[in-house]
Amino acid sequence: MQRLELPRFEFIGRFARNRGALIGALLILVVALMALLGPLFFPVDPLRIVGQPELWPGEDPDFPLGTDSLGRDMLSMIVHGARATLLIGLFASAVATVIGVGVGATAGYFGGWIDEIAMRAAELFQTIPNLIFVLTIVVILGSTLTNIVIAIGVVSWTPIARMTRAEFLSLRDREFVQACRAMGMGDLKIIVTEILPNALPPVIVLSSLVVAGAILFESAVSFLGLGDPNVASWGRLVGDGRLLIRSSWYICAIPGVAIMITVLCLNLIGDGLNDALNPKLRDR
Amino acid sequence: MGNDSYRVTRRIFGVGVFGAGVVASSLAGIAPARAQGTPKRGGTLVATWGGGEPQACYVPAGGGSSPTFSSSKLFERLGNRTMEGKFQGELAESWKPSADFKSYTIKIRKGVKFHDGKDMTVDDVVYSISEIWKKYAAASALTDFAGVAAPDAETVVMTFNTPIPEFFFSSLLCGNVNYIVPKHVYAGSDPVTNPANNAPIGTGPWKFKEWVRGSHFEYVKHDAYWRKDMPYMDRLIIRYVRDPAGRAAAMEAGDIHIGVFNPVAPPDIKRLTGTGKFVATPKGYEESVWSTTLECNMRNPIFAKREVRQAMFHAVDRSFIAKTVYYGYARPGTSPIYSPNKEFFTADTYKTGFDPKKAAALLDAAGFPKKADGKRFAVNLLAAGWFTENGKIGAYVKQALEDVGIAVNLSVPDRPTSIKRIYTDYDFDMAISNQANPSEPVPSTTQYFTTDGIKKGVPFRNANGYSNPEVDALVAKIKVETDPAKRKELVFQFEKIITVEAPLLPLVELESITVASTKVQNHSNDPNYLAATWYDIWLAS
Repeated sequence: MQRLELPRFEFIGRFARNRGALIGALLILVVALMALLGPLFFPVDPLRIVGQPELWPGEDPDFPLGTDSLGRDMLSMIVHGARATLLIGLFASAVATVIGVGVGATAGYFGGWIDEIAMRAAELFQTIPNLIFVLTIVVILGSTLTNIVIAIGVVSWTPIARMTRAEFLSLRDREFVQACRAMGMGDLKIIVTEILPNALPPVIVLSSLVVAGAILFESAVSFLGLGDPNVASWGRLVGDGRLLIRSSWYICAIPGVAIMITVLCLNLIGDGLNDALNPKLRDR
Repeated sequence: MGNDSYRVTRRIFGVGVFGAGVVASSLAGIAPARAQGTPKRGGTLVATWGGGEPQACYVPAGGGSSPTFSSSKLFERLGNRTMEGKFQGELAESWKPSADFKSYTIKIRKGVKFHDGKDMTVDDVVYSISEIWKKYAAASALTDFAGVAAPDAETVVMTFNTPIPEFFFSSLLCGNVNYIVPKHVYAGSDPVTNPANNAPIGTGPWKFKEWVRGSHFEYVKHDAYWRKDMPYMDRLIIRYVRDPAGRAAAMEAGDIHIGVFNPVAPPDIKRLTGTGKFVATPKGYEESVWSTTLECNMRNPIFAKREVRQAMFHAVDRSFIAKTVYYGYARPGTSPIYSPNKEFFTADTYKTGFDPKKAAALLDAAGFPKKADGKRFAVNLLAAGWFTENGKIGAYVKQALEDVGIAVNLSVPDRPTSIKRIYTDYDFDMAISNQANPSEPVPSTTQYFTTDGIKKGVPFRNANGYSNPEVDALVAKIKVETDPAKRKELVFQFEKIITVEAPLLPLVELESITVASTKVQNHSNDPNYLAATWYDIWLAS
């Protein structure tokens, strides 16, 4: 039976062979630590007004990254924002992966009319511009963190579904699967324990990219003022600073750079995962 | 206010928004030219405003600030108000009440031509009043309207079921979109869907030429305009730029000469005027003062006690909002009638100034002490998302209320959702919204507080459900009191009651700004400049 049986160290070794991925992973680790430990260093609600508005970075040692247009601490908002941003990215990606793998596996394994229906549904979702779809869902459901996660998940599942379906199509008639069938194994068991582990590596790569996409979606939603106003998020900060771009551009620039680095790192990690998980590239 | 003014833009919530002052049946002439030097003739002026393109060039019910801005250059009203607060005739020469104030006689100006060459007659005036004003433009103000007739070719008589104060009547004649429209174009059609709304034919100094959707309106000089030798300029372009930063850039490049109603972001105002090539002025908004309001939903039993409502206002530092959120282009609000209102504003009202300790004491006394978790109760605060400032104020108010022990869940929905949640679903505990009011308090201001202002689904009315027989009776009296001094006293009384009761109060009165190139002459010379005809504007070389 073919299985995902890479020895752990070999996997890490392959991943680390991609320098970009290594740097990306380290930086994401920093962001994650910031998200986890931030509240310890900044116990006050980051959305509290604590000082003079529009203090430039370095102008006041109390606020190393300055303050925004209301006088809220930029550093505190960036640190707390990391938490919201990463959580949204991870959960949205999880939602998209669950839907995508579920739909794709069913469609690919059973084929026929189930496949037809599932793929037409996926196409329906793909024809609607993603951002507009997200905005519509958020406007209808209301701007809370949970709704934003659901909205992003709902628009991001289609590539995962198609990828999973393609993998299932190529795997479902292989000898080892036929052997399982001959042994009288049930469909569900075959899907979950036999085909899925073999189909998963490219899906994992894709999911990591969905995390990056989800962060960008959340930023866009918040930038347009539809984010959850009770949560500090990087996108909201960029949106707030937009009107001040000629005078206090740091309000846009700092969270903008944070978003850029995080998304870039996630993409690099995706590349690294691809190298590490794709057997064809194993000895490149 | 027109029932269908669903489009909210920062200038007009009220459509029957009108002026104030004492009637002056003066002959309207050419306003004193305060230009520097001799006006230069010819040329093209490009204007913009701090909002987007309208849904139609002219909307009979008003439709918000954007169509008011675009249509007011093409149409004219019977009267207008000067910067000094005097009423003067425009398409009317004069008007005067009967002894019982139940009818008004209006003398109509002669020699006025529409853009299509036809003469304006009393028939046009009668048609406009009975079919356009009564049904759309001033529907909520003309509740006691009995009829209108033209006894001769230069006189129109309006009759009412109750006595109508002169100030109210004069304000009506100056109302934002209370235009005189051509009967020969509108009669027999549905005015709301008449195609002429997108290529209007009026009597104004500017004649419609073209609407390039997504970009601009082009108007040309009306050669047969009744004010002799006016306008000075040959063309007026109204250009729409979506983004404040884009407007600032276009002004700097010299592509746009004047922007009304906050065309650029506050920090850019200083930058532009600093170059010496631009001036910024708060003048020209006296008859349409904007405010940001906070209200408590009376349907929530917590807010049944007025001490609790007062505490909400005591908890908030309005100076902070004015200074930080609006960069000083605002001042703390104290009364439902705003301070630029020379006729009806009084400083002698109950003050709910910033005093968190008093707020806490009031809440304790009202039976809402802090519980074990440090909270008294929780509220949903809705900040209407049509202005970015509202969201910022929401964030601040949330913090201010949390400081006195109230848990706050803030939401900042987009424009349609905000309108629906505040004015249709009443789905809020506290709401931050905006209103724009003229000097005449009835009905624009009063319908936020009276029982008959509670109209589910009609935006910018009484959304918090406040209902007080005392206020209703007082407003009924204000409506029919024809003695100006007594009427003033009654409005003062209204202000006192509302400030004590605090169902809805302004947090800040906004200072709207016009930014213009120093070349632009004769601007900001009307107390509602966005809705003025701009017949005398000119551009120095």
